[in-house]
Amino acid sequence: MKSIRVGCGSASWGDMLDPAVELAERGEVQYIGFDHLAELTMSILQRMKQKDPSRGYIPDLVPWMKRLLPVAREKGIRMLTNAGGANVEAAGEAVAQVARGLGHTGLKLGLVFGDDVLARIPAFRAQGLKFQNLDTGEEDIDRIADRIVSANAYIGSEGQIQALAEGASVVITGRATDSSVHIAPMVHEFGWATDDWDLMGAAIAIGHIIECSSGCAGGMSNFWKDIKEPWRVAFPIAEVYENGDAVITKPDGSGRMVTEMTVKEHLVYEVHDPTRYIMADGISDFSKCQLSTLGPDRIKVTGFTGTKRPDTLKLCLGYEDGWIGESEISVCWPDAYEKAQFCEKFLRGRFAALQLPITEMRVDFIGLNSIHGPLAALPKDLEDINEVRVRVAVRTTSKENANLVRREVTHLWTHGPVGTTAVISPPPPRQVISLWPTLVPRELVPQTLVMKEVR
Amino acid sequence: MARQMPLRELAWARSGDKGDISNIGVMAKTPAAYEILKRHLTAAVVKAHFTGIVKGEVVRYDLDNLHSLEFVMRNALGGGATRTLMMDQTGKAFGPNLLRLVLNVED
Repeated sequence: MKSIRVGCGSASWGDMLDPAVELAERGEVQYIGFDHLAELTMSILQRMKQKDPSRGYIPDLVPWMKRLLPVAREKGIRMLTNAGGANVEAAGEAVAQVARGLGHTGLKLGLVFGDDVLARIPAFRAQGLKFQNLDTGEEDIDRIADRIVSANAYIGSEGQIQALAEGASVVITGRATDSSVHIAPMVHEFGWATDDWDLMGAAIAIGHIIECSSGCAGGMSNFWKDIKEPWRVAFPIAEVYENGDAVITKPDGSGRMVTEMTVKEHLVYEVHDPTRYIMADGISDFSKCQLSTLGPDRIKVTGFTGTKRPDTLKLCLGYEDGWIGESEISVCWPDAYEKAQFCEKFLRGRFAALQLPITEMRVDFIGLNSIHGPLAALPKDLEDINEVRVRVAVRTTSKENANLVRREVTHLWTHGPVGTTAVISPPPPRQVISLWPTLVPRELVPQTLVMKEVR
Repeated sequence: MARQMPLRELAWARSGDKGDISNIGVMAKTPAAYEILKRHLTAAVVKAHFTGIVKGEVVRYDLDNLHSLEFVMRNALGGGATRTLMMDQTGKAFGPNLLRLVLNVED
């Protein structure tokens, strides 16, 4: 039976490059898909583009292509990435420039557009479209309409499939779904009908398993104690068969592991109703799948099914929503816990005295409760703990107010209890981009493909 | 007779986020453990466990084929990763936090 090997080269902006290079060099893959976008990323990239029209794509793209293009060319590997972010055109130009520098003239790039609907929101609204918030139920975007900074639909694999059909060696898109970069090669190679919902369900599930890079290969794992060489990270490969089955594996000789449990860990990750895992390309059903071990680091996955793709696409609007000021300082033995409480009292009192407009405030005692909150029981020997790091975060109205939070924490250095120290450099105030998840009719978000040859 | 069974002895867990929703995949360590989880690790028990953190509803989905349960918890991340004041912005530590739970299992 025909099969292909698709590797996952990235799970996010800032992911590790070496394992992606290892995939290309020793993974015996024909395709590598890269996901670089998280929920917040589109807003950041849109901002970058507003400041400089030649930016707005994932900057990692350039160094990555420098390393990967030569290997990909030698081995005939085709790469698909959503690193185009908010500026697919500029990303294409950047990759073309890298290719020219490497002497790869004739390289075909496929640029897929369509996800960015920011400029079209007013027209959609004029047509009477409402954008109900899927999280809160709020009916429409009246309250935030003048603060929207990004609007991207999660588009499926159609444009990427077409790009592969037209011979693209590198496919670049914007906010396509994480799994679409893996789905497109399967559909292209096997000629699957994109309305064969069981096969699309399988493609989505297989894409989901590998889309978080090491997430199915020992990253974020309950089985971290089994990892003897933590620094050797491996990225996964899906060896996909024409019937929709797959073997999840990794390059021979690479680090970490792929086991039934590491694959299962990712199957249950960020999935809501597992019988209806909704993506632009279809709706996948994980409830009948089976895992089995074929050999070391070779896990077979079968039995995925699917149903018809939704008529709407997920649309994520990012809007400006105030500022966050935060900072930290450390207190030490003896009486570290009481000193931390003193610091909290100081900060609350100072913010009140300064009439800081606070929408929300949180104080964490790092080392005691900053991660597990009220469920983290305090240690019994509270008097003897060595140190506590006090962290305060405040949501407020302006950058100036956010900056005040930092200043006040710094004052604890000289006006706090004995031994209070280690302000280091507090993070700069950050503008909050809140997200408004909603839906948009699919037919309003067509994809377009632009093929480009490097000269 | 009721027995106290720490969840961490019965299951592994991994959590993630979508907007303000936290989800936890709970994977039973054995088929027998899965039966205990199905009976006792209800959405209501999980919601009660996360008092003070999860503000919205908790829904459970069962994956008998994977001996796993999926919990979807709304209004759980202080508004979601991009706006939350929580240090665990994406709820990656919610899975381990759930494993603090001790189940009351009737024999």
